[in-house]
Amino acid sequence: MIKVQNLTKTFTSHVKEPGLVGSLKALVKREIRTKDALKSVNLTIEQGEIIGLIGGNGAGKTTLVKILAGIVHPTSGDATILGFRPWERHNDYRKQMSLIMGQKAQVWWDLPALDSFILLKDIYQIDDATYKYNIEFLAETLMVKDQLRTQVRKLSLGERMKIELMAALLHNPKVIFLDEPTIGLDISAQKAVREFMKNYQREFKPITILTSHYMEDIKELCQRIVIIKEGEFVYDGPLSDVQKLVGDEKVLNVTTQEESFKINVPRSELSQKTKEVLEQHSVLDLNIHDPSIEDIIESIMRNGVGAS
Amino acid sequence: MKWWRSVFSMELRKILAYRSDFWVTFLGQTFIQLLIARALWKSVFEAQNTSSMEGFTLDMMTLYYLIVPIGTRMLTGENIGFLSREIYEGTFTRYLIYPLSVFQYKTITYLTNSLFYGFQLMILYVLYHVCYLGDSLGNLPDLVLGVSLFLVASMTYLMMAIVIELLALWADNIWSLMVMLRFFTTFFGGGFIPLDFFPAWATNLLQWTPFPYLVSLPVRTTMGMTSVSDITNGLIILLSWCLIFMMCVKFIWIKGQKKYTGVGI
Repeated sequence: MIKVQNLTKTFTSHVKEPGLVGSLKALVKREIRTKDALKSVNLTIEQGEIIGLIGGNGAGKTTLVKILAGIVHPTSGDATILGFRPWERHNDYRKQMSLIMGQKAQVWWDLPALDSFILLKDIYQIDDATYKYNIEFLAETLMVKDQLRTQVRKLSLGERMKIELMAALLHNPKVIFLDEPTIGLDISAQKAVREFMKNYQREFKPITILTSHYMEDIKELCQRIVIIKEGEFVYDGPLSDVQKLVGDEKVLNVTTQEESFKINVPRSELSQKTKEVLEQHSVLDLNIHDPSIEDIIESIMRNGVGAS
Repeated sequence: MKWWRSVFSMELRKILAYRSDFWVTFLGQTFIQLLIARALWKSVFEAQNTSSMEGFTLDMMTLYYLIVPIGTRMLTGENIGFLSREIYEGTFTRYLIYPLSVFQYKTITYLTNSLFYGFQLMILYVLYHVCYLGDSLGNLPDLVLGVSLFLVASMTYLMMAIVIELLALWADNIWSLMVMLRFFTTFFGGGFIPLDFFPAWATNLLQWTPFPYLVSLPVRTTMGMTSVSDITNGLIILLSWCLIFMMCVKFIWIKGQKKYTGVGI
């Protein structure tokens, strides 16, 4: 179980004015800027649950993942995962946890994947039978059997991501942090990774926190989502209920000779707004539908809850 | 298998993964440095019209400059910036996620590199004695003792380097500090010119610092030019410094780990 209470993280960074003058000034005095990446957030996740953490760039989702994975210390607040405080980095916690980062390699690039796996076997003290079973199971389901003996740096991005997944799941973690697992992958590789994670979740029931900019990842894998905006949770609940956030609203998709656009309209104003559009534009096509999850989340991230 | 044995084996495979790099560092770098040093010292000996300077003949000087480059490589182990670069790039994160100590891991990878260069040093030393019939300096026990001293020196240098590398948790760039450490180690350790050529006041001062024992002592021991008391005194000072720097590493890490932001991920 994951329990997060009033977790706050503040980062400080140096600011430098552009140009040579700015560089010279910075030699003597530098301005320090403070940013609240997380503002007293609370969260509870049960074993076997998979949640989607959604937010724009710099919203704070990766910071939360970094804290829960034990990489970063929080400024204040508390969190326990399986009874451990993550940033204390107890080995018993780290043996049950895994972090998969789409943009960063954790396996050793200069070596074939199998060499990295042998090292991980010893680091995580995986017994021979489990190791053998997991290598075969993971390589088979991820379809990378032929790539295990190739130097990792020579693999394609999709193949590398699958190797990363293998490396992260070799020790059957009870807690998995998936940070942008499908970033940069082509459609078929994205589908394969999603399908694999779905099956893995069904079979091993770990706690999984998934962050992704791809709504397909979220829709396929998560029943529950947390939307984070400027370090605060603005929604935490079932994905299916997210539509309730925008109330009784419809979307008008309009195509004219010049452009295509869409307008979010309250149901009570629908006929009036449709009439106006038809009068003001030479409309080629017009359709009315419920807002998609992507539309709603985009709107929340831009305007906040209730402002969409 | 214990994880540290796997790390050792993996690091060795990493070193051997690049054949050209292996041969360039093994032969190219060592012999180029050796040839330049021999040519320069030959001129100095000829200009002074002498066969011995500060206890060194030209053949002894040649052997000295054969051992120095590869011994320095043993000392400095992995490439410069091995930890700070990982902090900047965020790959340092992997050591925080895996259930192991980052410093134990780094010590093993570092010593693997040192041992590997130690092995190269032994091959070169034997080759030198087989191929070159100059002054017969040192013998097999001296060689083993010298390489062992280089390994102890590597541990001390590693701790010094980690103290500086960890400053990357606060400072934007510590590259210049690492270059300075390497320069001071080579210069004050007698890597450029043997310490016998330094003025007395400088050697008296340096004897309390770790530098002479990082380079000069292991090189001279390999050449059979040191006494038991030289080695004992050197080891005591070297290990004392190692302990001091280990305590500094512990202190800096306790403070610094809270500053790590995992930038780049």
